[in-house]
Amino acid sequence: MKRFQLGEFEEIVLLTVGVLHGNAYGVTIKDEIEQRLKREVTVGSLQVTLRRLESKGFLNSTPGDSTESRRGRPKLFFEVTAYGKRALDYCKESRDELWKALPQLVLNLK
Amino acid sequence: MKSAEPPRFILRFLEWFCKPEYHADIEGDLLEIYDRRVAAWGRARANLHLCKDVLFLFRPGIIRSASIHQPIPSNGMIRNYFMMGWRNLRKNKLYSTLNVLGLTFGMVCFLLIGLYVYDELNFDTQHSKAERIYRVITHEKSPNNEAATVAAAGYMVAEETKQKFPNVEQTTRMQRIGRANLVDPENPVNVQEAITVADQYLLEVFDFPLLEGDRRTALKEPNSIVITEDLAMRIFGRTDVINKNLQFSHMDNPVKITAILKNHPQNSSFTFTSVLSESTRYSNEEFMRDALSDWASQNYTVYALLKPGVNADSVSSRITGLVQANASLEPGTKLSYSLQPLKDVHLKSEGIIDGARNSNVDPIPQGNPVYVTVFLFTAILVLLIAGINYSNLTTARASSRLKEIGVRKVIGAVRSNLIWQFLVESFITMVIAFGFAVLIVALLLPSFNEFVNKKFSLFSSVGLGFWAAAAGLIIAMGLLSGGYVALLLSYFKPVSLLKGLVLKSGSDFSVRKALVVLQFTISTVMIIGTIVLFRQVRFLNESNLGFNKDLMVVIDVNVLKARSNFDWVKNEMSKIAAVEQVSVTSHVPGDWKTLVRVKLKKDGGSNQLHTAYVIGADKDFLATYGIELLKGRNFSNENDTSAILINEAAAKILGITHISNEAVNIPQSARGSSFAPVYDDINASFKPRVVGIVKDFHFQSLRAKIEPLIIAYHDNPIYPIDYYSVKIQPQNIQATLEKLKAVMLANDEREPFEYHFLDEQLARFYMEDQRSQTILGWVALASVVIACLGLFGLATYSAQQRLKEIGVRKVLGANLLSIMALLSKDFVKLVLIACCFAFPVAWFGANWWLREYAYHIGVEWWIFALAGVITTGIALLTVSYQAIKAALMTPVKTLRSE
Repeated sequence: MKRFQLGEFEEIVLLTVGVLHGNAYGVTIKDEIEQRLKREVTVGSLQVTLRRLESKGFLNSTPGDSTESRRGRPKLFFEVTAYGKRALDYCKESRDELWKALPQLVLNLK
Repeated sequence: MKSAEPPRFILRFLEWFCKPEYHADIEGDLLEIYDRRVAAWGRARANLHLCKDVLFLFRPGIIRSASIHQPIPSNGMIRNYFMMGWRNLRKNKLYSTLNVLGLTFGMVCFLLIGLYVYDELNFDTQHSKAERIYRVITHEKSPNNEAATVAAAGYMVAEETKQKFPNVEQTTRMQRIGRANLVDPENPVNVQEAITVADQYLLEVFDFPLLEGDRRTALKEPNSIVITEDLAMRIFGRTDVINKNLQFSHMDNPVKITAILKNHPQNSSFTFTSVLSESTRYSNEEFMRDALSDWASQNYTVYALLKPGVNADSVSSRITGLVQANASLEPGTKLSYSLQPLKDVHLKSEGIIDGARNSNVDPIPQGNPVYVTVFLFTAILVLLIAGINYSNLTTARASSRLKEIGVRKVIGAVRSNLIWQFLVESFITMVIAFGFAVLIVALLLPSFNEFVNKKFSLFSSVGLGFWAAAAGLIIAMGLLSGGYVALLLSYFKPVSLLKGLVLKSGSDFSVRKALVVLQFTISTVMIIGTIVLFRQVRFLNESNLGFNKDLMVVIDVNVLKARSNFDWVKNEMSKIAAVEQVSVTSHVPGDWKTLVRVKLKKDGGSNQLHTAYVIGADKDFLATYGIELLKGRNFSNENDTSAILINEAAAKILGITHISNEAVNIPQSARGSSFAPVYDDINASFKPRVVGIVKDFHFQSLRAKIEPLIIAYHDNPIYPIDYYSVKIQPQNIQATLEKLKAVMLANDEREPFEYHFLDEQLARFYMEDQRSQTILGWVALASVVIACLGLFGLATYSAQQRLKEIGVRKVLGANLLSIMALLSKDFVKLVLIACCFAFPVAWFGANWWLREYAYHIGVEWWIFALAGVITTGIALLTVSYQAIKAALMTPVKTLRSE
């Protein structure tokens, strides 16, 4: 089924936007991922992913007010769309299905 | 909180590549992170990370598409630019005319001078191997440390360098051995020609184009001659004369024409009309033997063709080594060699004696690098003035166009649109002016050619390179002057433009003032230059030379009998009623051929040899030329063959103060000044006695100081007589000349009768100065006119701007004069400032140039005053026309509508 295609990083970003619910813009998303997952995120890769998700319809953006700390530049807030939520659901379900199908034997390997 | 500033360039970069709709918030994110990093790590590291982040953003998905920012199809816009430009020009006829006129003047000057300079700079470049051809120069130092630099070398230098040094591809030798009559034996008409002798490689090293004949063999066989088209026409009246015979008056055998050369182009240092094969001379075995041991002489002009990429210095030092190893020199004499590139022969030969020629052959024509430099600069400066004019007029007019610019901006013109518009406008003006300029140049060219003695034609003589360069420079000027205007005018904010704020003062106006000052500085310097040149040329032509040059006919001795039978000729000539005096001499004062120099010392004095020039003359010489005898006596009779007169300069170096028949020793062959004595005993030296001292007179050009000179009797062992000088009366000169010719022909019917007027000949020394004076005068005039056109435009504009003010002033009772003063004073102030800059520059320039002359005028204060008055006067006149017009305006007209 090719309805929802999410890359690994895309999935993380999408989830993080969900986690931050209402306070998700470039810097917070980056901080959140870095904190929780202990991995380096560059502005470049994050931005590209955000825009791609937006163009696929998984995310929605609204410009916020400009603030002093950003020298007058506006924030762009993201939120997960219903479509995006379905994509996440689909993603999780397909993983779960695969997990269930995994024979015990494989898990015990090592 | 005051935060650290991130590097601007990197944010600019981001702005440049980033999709505009993403840009604002991405930059916001970056700055937020940046501030945090500055707090945590400090500025430097934060900057580094910022750069890294931006670089990582440079990827597809973020980068905007290339076409995104050209919303308007440019074809239509470009058409629009041209249309608007054209309309604007037509709308303001006065300013457009001033602009075009100024630019045209500037370009005409630039093109004409450019043609001249280009020609001078491209001398001898027509040979395909010109880059690799070098002239061998001998540097000689004699035992008493006299140095000479001569463009000549020995026979073996040419012969051996190409054998021994693999770096030398080929060499060729030339000699200009004298003048002789060259006639067609079937139809003998005497044509006196300089004889040039060259080896067979001449046509191989240089590519003088041949009309007929074989380049490789033409100069191989003895008794072969190559002649130019021009000479063929003179002798035969046609050019298909290959394989015909010619006869030189000094040779027994006829010579065969083996090739016909095209005429030399005007920018060629070579002026020979015929070349005799060298093998003609060396079929004589004795000559050949002498030549084969000739290492150190200065009898040949040697040109060397080096292999590509070879360093000339390394070759010349090897030549020096070769000569030192082989030549037997007098002890103390040092010879060294250098190679002069062919392209430097014309302009960079100052101080190099053009050797390897008989003294009755004209030297290679030299260019004057000083004038070429001066001209090059003036050409560029005039163009600069014209460009400044354009910028000034256009920016001055800008405030009347501010509304237009404002409206354009509001409608949506971005800055680049406006810049393009102004550039196109200036481009149109330039093109129109260029068209006019080329037209005017084409019209002026014939008289210009006559004047500079060249043969330019608009397209054939200079080739594409010149036109490309000229067009390039003019486009550059258009971009520069139009670009300044465009940047300035497109810079203003639309709101302030539409609110009707008038551009006042600010930096723009002071730039304009500075430009006016620059223009007038250049003009004033040129005016001063012209005055100084004019005065110096007049000084050169009119100063007392110490002898009488007016009404002096100088007749060349061209046939043997004119020399041997001179007593009879002189006698016959003095019988003519209009002839006052006749004298025979070896050279004449102000000689255009090379004067002979000898080394001499006083008997019993120190052993040091001095150099002096020699003129051989008879007893009538002093009377004919009006030269004053200071001490002693003149020549009196045939017993005076060993008597000499000396000039004051010679008396000084020899230490002779009063006449007691001191003997002077002139050794026969001191290096560089050998003479072939007519004595039976070939080892004897010439030991004349000094019988008189004459007042110094300028026997050379006024560029040189008066050098020591000895006047020997006409029957002397150094040089035979070569001229008759005939002092005539001013009435009916033509008839007198006919009578003189009849005498010469009666003496020998082969006589070609060549004569000159001495004053005309002397004026030739300064012809180039005269020419430069005229050119500089015209250019100065043009530059003043251009600058004034600009001033006129500015004055018109400023008068228009102040119409209301003037109206109010008039109502309040101001009179004509005070209003004129009000309008003129700003401009006059600028011109006066310009004078302050111009005077020192001109002073240094004039003194630098005058140093070239041993005798010159002083640079006096009144020259500067005059130039200042001229510039200020002209500027005042220009401005006052507008000022008067404004002042006479009825105030009602300007004040009634508000």
